[in-house]
Amino acid sequence: MRRKLPQIIVAAVGLIMFLVYFSGHPTAQRVNQTILVDYWQIIFAFTLIVGVIGFARSNLQQIQRGDGRFFRIVSLVGLVSMPILALIGGINAGSPFVWMFDHVQAPMQATVFALLAFFVASAALRGFRARSVPAAILLLAATITLLARSDVGGATIAWLPETAEWIRAHPSMAARRAILIGIGLGSLTTSLRILIGIERTWLGSER
Amino acid sequence: MLVPLTAWIEPDRLPILIAAIIATAIVLYTTYHRRSRDRYRMRPIQGLQAVEDAIGRATEMARPLLFTPGWGGDIQRPTTIAALNILSHVAEKTSRYDCRLLFPTHDPVIMSVAQEVGREAYIRTGHSDRFQADDFAYVSSSQFGYAAAVEGMIARENPASVFLLGTFEAESLILAEVGNASGAIQIAGTDSTIQLAFFIVACDYTLIGEELFAASAYLSQDPAILASVRAQDIMKVLIVIAILTLLIIASTVGWPLESLSAP
Amino acid sequence: MNSALSRRLAFAGLFIAVTVAMLIPSEGDVRVAPETRQLYEWIDSIPPGSQVIVSFDHEASALPEIRPLALALLRHCFERDLVPIGVSLLAEGTGIGFALMDQTADEYDKTYGEDYAFLGFKPQFIAAILSMGESIPATYPEDYLGTPIDSLPAMVGVTTYDDVVGVLSIADGSMTTHWVEYGEARFGVPIAGAVTAAMITSYDPYLASGQMVALMGGLRGAAEYEQLIGIGGGGSRGLLAQSVSHLYVLAMIIIGNLLWWRARRRKGKESV
Repeated sequence: MRRKLPQIIVAAVGLIMFLVYFSGHPTAQRVNQTILVDYWQIIFAFTLIVGVIGFARSNLQQIQRGDGRFFRIVSLVGLVSMPILALIGGINAGSPFVWMFDHVQAPMQATVFALLAFFVASAALRGFRARSVPAAILLLAATITLLARSDVGGATIAWLPETAEWIRAHPSMAARRAILIGIGLGSLTTSLRILIGIERTWLGSER
Repeated sequence: MLVPLTAWIEPDRLPILIAAIIATAIVLYTTYHRRSRDRYRMRPIQGLQAVEDAIGRATEMARPLLFTPGWGGDIQRPTTIAALNILSHVAEKTSRYDCRLLFPTHDPVIMSVAQEVGREAYIRTGHSDRFQADDFAYVSSSQFGYAAAVEGMIARENPASVFLLGTFEAESLILAEVGNASGAIQIAGTDSTIQLAFFIVACDYTLIGEELFAASAYLSQDPAILASVRAQDIMKVLIVIAILTLLIIASTVGWPLESLSAP
Repeated sequence: MNSALSRRLAFAGLFIAVTVAMLIPSEGDVRVAPETRQLYEWIDSIPPGSQVIVSFDHEASALPEIRPLALALLRHCFERDLVPIGVSLLAEGTGIGFALMDQTADEYDKTYGEDYAFLGFKPQFIAAILSMGESIPATYPEDYLGTPIDSLPAMVGVTTYDDVVGVLSIADGSMTTHWVEYGEARFGVPIAGAVTAAMITSYDPYLASGQMVALMGGLRGAAEYEQLIGIGGGGSRGLLAQSVSHLYVLAMIIIGNLLWWRARRRKGKESV
């Protein structure tokens, strides 16, 4: 029953959602609105509770075990302090909550995002080799695109931007579309496998 | 009182409905048609063949294995479900070899489902005592909070193998490069076309788009699931035929589907 | 050279190159890409007084790239006397979006509630997009500041997507895709995107198929747009640093290949 009931719910809701997508009838639209907007929002609120409890429990257990104690304490302090700041000072401009967001969270996130530039450089140094003819063609395409996207290339060599745009609009897009079609079909068959119940791994344990 | 069909079906979506019905019929036919179910074999997928090696390596080195489904997906995304199917297979192996499995995620629901999938795999092999629920952890909903947490986990826990399977966004290269720097063997797979390029450069094996969805068929060898992958190939052939036919018609007598054209 | 050392040298080189480039003032015209011009022309063609949804679908992390894009677009909207209605599909985009609208509105002497409005954040982006398609007042009974939206002149006549000219999604990830897949596909609302450079090619198929009306990306897109509206900003300033980083990556690719060829030749000689 533990696996049957979710399977029945998935099949029923999946079928309803499939059908209402194709209908403009007010009744169908109301069903769509109720499931997607109202139910979804309610479920989302509960998932946040699951997340907070799971996060706190996991970190507390690992503190007890002595795994990365310092980092876990910092995480828990962050988890507790932001709601407290929001409760005390509100979340409007100028509040301590917004100050923490602007001066702690935003710079930290921007720092991690900025790491990407460094990793692009190291990946370029290590991984991008002209090992074969197709790899060499790929390398040439990358060179043209990089030069065209930089001011220097765009300003000095007239044909570079057009060539880069051609690469992006034709070979690159053709490959991307082919992969997207494959992904679309893969998503479709995976979804159908779930709806008809032959894919049940996600349901987890019977016990 | 009879209600006209047009009141229920939006005419604009009729072509999509017809395509969806044809696709569904093909999947159902190949899946349930007994004779066809037993015939299919899948071509070897290098990335999935390497799963066994990656788990074996982690076991031999007595180091954990890290599996993360990326920041871009939630539980209703087929890609996430496909990743969880692979997780089930991986968890089964790690439970047998008593290898620690770390599963950081950005979504509390994915965490709960992954815990269930992991627990089920450990029970299946009779090693439920080895299952550590808190290793399947929700770390942060924020993209770079999640990236920083997983990056830190890779740096501290030093996993021997890293599985990056799911929907990834800008965090993909950060995780793949940190994994590479730590010397881990890396198997990646995603439906985000833009991140595939990063994975191909930085990881040892990459499952490209649909290969990720075919993984559960490949790993389970379940005839019904294999047959549904066959349906995917049939649809692909039909799409290619449609594209070629329309191409020939368009270049000889002009574009026949004006209403579907891009402006 | 071992890989850890070469990685560190690559990191240090990039840091120095970008820092130096940031200190040098960037001058001169940039070549405007067709897709940026397309976005400019789309906004330029909207009749004054029309409402347009501006969706801040990003987190704080991408702010250095997102901010110039958003400012250039908002400036153009206000210059054309359009009425931007701000929303956000990601919680972190809310405060940033409101601050950016506030800043640009001040530059053009626009009044909150009359010339623009900000409705704020709704969780579960797909549900939010679909819900707005059914009813914007039902999805957002109040604006970001807690004012009932039926009392805002900027919101007069806005009930669904049919009442706005389109959605301008400013995003650092795949959020614009959801606007296309649910907003455009289901309700037919025109979608335009301003996205980070790393994401721009993933939207090409949507632009080519007509599912998006326009698209621009990255600091380069912002610099091009700044040139079109004739107002300088962060895009132009950051362009040199971005160009230098592109060239640096190119240099890394060349050096990496040279090292690899040398190692291969050496290996070949040893085996002989």
